[in-house]
Amino acid sequence: MAILKTNQLTKTYGAGDTAVTALDHLSLEIAVGEMVAIMGPSGCGKSTLLHLLGGLDTPTSGEVWIDGQNLTRLNDNQLTELRRRKLGFIFQFFNLIPVLNAVENAALPVTLDGMASQQAQAKATEWLQRFGLGNRLKNLPSQLSGGQQQRVAIARALVAEPALILADEPTGNLDTHASDEIAALLRQVAKEYRRSVVMVTHDPRIAAYADRIIFLKDGKLADETVLASQPAGAVAH
Amino acid sequence: MNTLLTLATRYLMGRKLRTALTTLAVMFGVLVLFGMNIILPTMITALQANVQGASGLVDFSISQVSGEPFSQDILAKVQAVAGVRVAVGSLQRTINLPANYLDNAPDTPDRITSFQLIGVIPSEASQIRTFPVVEGTFLQESATQQAVISRTFADASAVKIGDELEIPSVSGVQPLQVVGILPPNTDPGGERVYVTLATAQKLVGSVGKINQIDVNLPAMADEATRETVQADIQSALGTSFSVGTLLSGTEMFASIQMAEAAFNLFGVLAFFMGGFIIFNTFRTLVVERRRDIGMLRSLGATRGHILGLVLVEGLVQGIVGTTGGLIVGYGLGALILRLAEAPLSQFINIQLGKPVVSPALLIVSSLLGVGTTLLAGLFPALSASRVAPLEALRPNTHMPQMRWQRGMGFILGGIFIVVSIFVLFTGNALWIVPCGFLFLIGLVLVAPALVQPLAVWFGRLLGWLYARQGTGTLAQSNLTRQPTRVAVTASATMLGLAVLVAAGGLVSSLTSTMFDVIRKSLGSDYLFVPPSIGVWGSNLGSGAEFAETLRTIPGVETVSALRYLPSSANGQVLTLLGIDPQAFPKVSGLSFQQSVVGNDDQSYATLANERALIVNGVFLSTVGAQVGDVIDLSTTEGTVSYRIVAVAADILNAKIVTAYISQANLQADFGDSADVFIQLNLKPGADVASTEQAIKTLAADYPQFNVIAGREYTDVMLNQMSAAFGAMYFLFAMLAIPSLIAMLNTLTIGVIERTREIGMLRAVGATRQQVRTIVTAEALLLAAIGAILGILGGLYLGYVLVLAMQAMFPMGYRFPVNGVIIALFVALLFGAIAAILPARQAARLRVVEALRYE
Amino acid sequence: MSIRHALLGLLSQRPRHGYELRAAFSAVVGGEESWEVKPAQIYMTLERLTEAGWVVCESNLGEGQEPARRIYAITPQGHSALQAWFGSGVPSEHQRDPFFLKLITAVVAGEKDLQRILQVQRATLYRELHALTALRGRLDARVELAQILLLDKAIMHTEADIRWLDFIEIRLDEICRQPIPQPELRPRGRPKKEIQPE
Repeated sequence: MAILKTNQLTKTYGAGDTAVTALDHLSLEIAVGEMVAIMGPSGCGKSTLLHLLGGLDTPTSGEVWIDGQNLTRLNDNQLTELRRRKLGFIFQFFNLIPVLNAVENAALPVTLDGMASQQAQAKATEWLQRFGLGNRLKNLPSQLSGGQQQRVAIARALVAEPALILADEPTGNLDTHASDEIAALLRQVAKEYRRSVVMVTHDPRIAAYADRIIFLKDGKLADETVLASQPAGAVAH
Repeated sequence: MNTLLTLATRYLMGRKLRTALTTLAVMFGVLVLFGMNIILPTMITALQANVQGASGLVDFSISQVSGEPFSQDILAKVQAVAGVRVAVGSLQRTINLPANYLDNAPDTPDRITSFQLIGVIPSEASQIRTFPVVEGTFLQESATQQAVISRTFADASAVKIGDELEIPSVSGVQPLQVVGILPPNTDPGGERVYVTLATAQKLVGSVGKINQIDVNLPAMADEATRETVQADIQSALGTSFSVGTLLSGTEMFASIQMAEAAFNLFGVLAFFMGGFIIFNTFRTLVVERRRDIGMLRSLGATRGHILGLVLVEGLVQGIVGTTGGLIVGYGLGALILRLAEAPLSQFINIQLGKPVVSPALLIVSSLLGVGTTLLAGLFPALSASRVAPLEALRPNTHMPQMRWQRGMGFILGGIFIVVSIFVLFTGNALWIVPCGFLFLIGLVLVAPALVQPLAVWFGRLLGWLYARQGTGTLAQSNLTRQPTRVAVTASATMLGLAVLVAAGGLVSSLTSTMFDVIRKSLGSDYLFVPPSIGVWGSNLGSGAEFAETLRTIPGVETVSALRYLPSSANGQVLTLLGIDPQAFPKVSGLSFQQSVVGNDDQSYATLANERALIVNGVFLSTVGAQVGDVIDLSTTEGTVSYRIVAVAADILNAKIVTAYISQANLQADFGDSADVFIQLNLKPGADVASTEQAIKTLAADYPQFNVIAGREYTDVMLNQMSAAFGAMYFLFAMLAIPSLIAMLNTLTIGVIERTREIGMLRAVGATRQQVRTIVTAEALLLAAIGAILGILGGLYLGYVLVLAMQAMFPMGYRFPVNGVIIALFVALLFGAIAAILPARQAARLRVVEALRYE
Repeated sequence: MSIRHALLGLLSQRPRHGYELRAAFSAVVGGEESWEVKPAQIYMTLERLTEAGWVVCESNLGEGQEPARRIYAITPQGHSALQAWFGSGVPSEHQRDPFFLKLITAVVAGEKDLQRILQVQRATLYRELHALTALRGRLDARVELAQILLLDKAIMHTEADIRWLDFIEIRLDEICRQPIPQPELRPRGRPKKEIQPE
């Protein structure tokens, strides 16, 4: 079953002669528990695609469906709620709040959703322990290594039990060793916890962890490589 | 929601210095408003307690509008009104005691400096008040020279039942036998000494008269009945009587209220400045946290969450700042009151109690404190809530240029400035004060457009200073990059400095004029000064025979006395001071401003020849009259017409509605009165030592007067004023402190925004010192721009204040050289201080990291 | 040849049967899937080593026995040969690339869809990388570090190959526009001026 689906997704910036088409009628589907890497040269539209998938930006035309909901039909508040409940974001620069400790950072999405802070922190602690950060719960981001910070960010992305994780160059700021760890963790998230993971990366080594690689070029689907067998129905167009 | 609270607290704690300074800005506003507003009402309350006393079962109190005593016959008229259960007449007078009068111990502070002498008919008074005598008995019906006092009074004066208590009276010190003692008095300054009515009339020199009637209605009288009875009494007595409240002391309230208005003006300015600073701080933090905010948004935080987050921070700072402001304001108020008590008691004999905090003031101060913070934080919070989630993914922090129609602002500001300058020339007092604000707002609006030229101008100066490093130009171009932000900062600095310069203008004008007048008014060789100058009604004077006796001393040339009676005109209470038109100009003098009968001498002469008045400026503005007008003054019998022949000023009555009248006219139209202030000049070549001895011997019988040599007195007064003004300067300089925060914020944003540029500068060979210099130069430029605007605004505001006060007190505007120098110094000093941290931050940036920073 | 020396090394540990040697070899190189050696190749190599006097066959059962039953041991000459090998470098053979051969052949043969060849190759490499990564992920770093390092080598080279494909892809059109390399007909002639090395 597809958790994410785009239909003729197009995004253009500017108008007239200076208009730039970042995405050009892109249609794809991503299945539950599938890990997909999006690759391509810079300016190929991979970041734009991720923004559109996350409802952070609005498409010029076309549709994005997440878990049966059409994002293009949602207003800002509904989008916000969708992000909170169905999506998890992982950023290149981790983007942890510097003044909150690991547990508090990881608990943010559920506390924002109104969960009692004790319960929220218990959930966050659970995820952090799974990711081997059980002894770093009260550390501030500045007291954690890059890899640890990104693991906190992944815990944060998962704490609200979203169906889809969107990661933007999640290893872009890490060394090779930490990158491998994070990529393996993301794969574990997809396989063990059955979340779909969409990850933009330019690192072949990280992309190789995925089930499928989507190559973009000039806003269009240039190529697609299936690396591992995947659940039925996850076919790209 | 408590995540927001946690987050807000952590953010606040993360930037302790900024949080502290911003909170301080809020605190200052609240402090000024709250502190100043508890000082003055406390004085008023003390005064009221002094004048009114406890009201017991009294439903209404009746007194003459003028405050004068009236015939006992009036009592019968009141008793005849239907619905009145009891009406009791009394004669009450506050009697001030000279220093160390009761305890004769100069080292210990006096616990009682005044008391209220109350003459009652014992059998009648008991119907309306209870006198729970704890020792001895209450007054006998026909007793003379007997008194009932409180336990505290008895203790303070070491008097027991049967002992004699000596009190000042119109005919010198008189003994009273203490027959009864009431429970301790809990109301500071509210000591009462009860005597029989006849005794009181003799002591204060008002035979057959009373000055207050207390009325009691049957129990259970409803509001409508009360109103009917009040109206009936009013119509029975006529308009020269007031039913309900006591009017004595109103003159003092008026002058206190003026001071209150002036302080509120500064309080509002402080709030204004606080608002700017908070606005700037919040803008800074929104820039700093752009990515955090974007990330929160992409995690599912709604706009409301973000708005809430920023506002919660504002709220925390607002609440903490306000609380701090309230506490420090209360402390400061209490301190000033304590410090003020000693010098003040020379003028007004009141005992100041604890600071009085009205719930309304508390609420208004808190609302303003928290409200200003929230309001100033609202716009940055709104812009924060509009931060797109994408900001988290986009690595660069650039601040959207805020252009609230710079062109429009400039035009509007220009119009404001032109209008306010125009109004200044028309001299219309009513419009001048609001125009002070208009001018400041105009400057604030024009500021963004002025930043560029001012920065260029000062940049040239700096370029010359830092010629070898070429950093001045860089600082200048950095500043002109964000003119709006610089303008907001400069505006905050401007407001702080404007207060300083305006106060300087006012003070320098006031001192120079006042010192002249003081020397003129109090230029006599000896002065007999009552405890309360200005509030003449609360003084116990002396009979005319005292002045006569003084005249007989060999070596004394002229004796001039001021005789006091209250009156009213056009419903306004006023002070009538009877002078001897011949003697007065010889020992003292008024500063004439305008006269319809020619020179000063002719004006004095007119007082002797006709029903004429010389009035002061406050008189004209309060009563609403012009020089040359004929006005009706109220007397016990009705009204009598007087012509205003001149307007003149006198330091003693600078703020009090006063008319000078000849003593002969005062006696003929208004009745008996006492001398409340006596001035005396020696013959040239007289033996000073023996004459002074003779004067002091005579004065010993009249302890209500403090005898001082004139020169000594003026010196004391001038010293006190200089000290007070010095303290004011210091206070106003403190007001400029929050502008530090404004500059600190702007410089900090500048450094954050330019991290990469600074890295580049360092990479191409700028030394740490040079980077530090750039930031410092920028700070000095910023401070200089603020100072220029502040000095402009301050000069205008100061001029406006002087003009506004001219209506009450004549003074010329004097350019505040000191104020301008202090303001410039303060601005540059603050600029340099504000630069320290950001400059260090910039200099310490590691080149590689700074270059990578996006 | 590396296999020879590898066998010498294994024999320097202790004398072994031929089939034992093959199993041990397979174990140290990370399994048959990473470096497969046939039994015949093992015996042929052992024979050569014996001929060279680096190895002796210590069979007490004589010549007629099954090769698998014979036990081989290293000789002093074998030891010194092993040391000589340790003391010399191993050249890499990166220029001899099968994919390059395929691509250039396609160019020579005038194949239109070169892009397709690249894509297929990239997909192949990515699958390989995926498998290598997965394999590596299953290994225990505490006891199988040698294999992990071997896999790391493979991963890194595959990664480099993928990046190399990206390079090729960017310049594919340019390659097609340039003349196909020809055998040099006049070895002593001047080089053609219009062909400049990139």
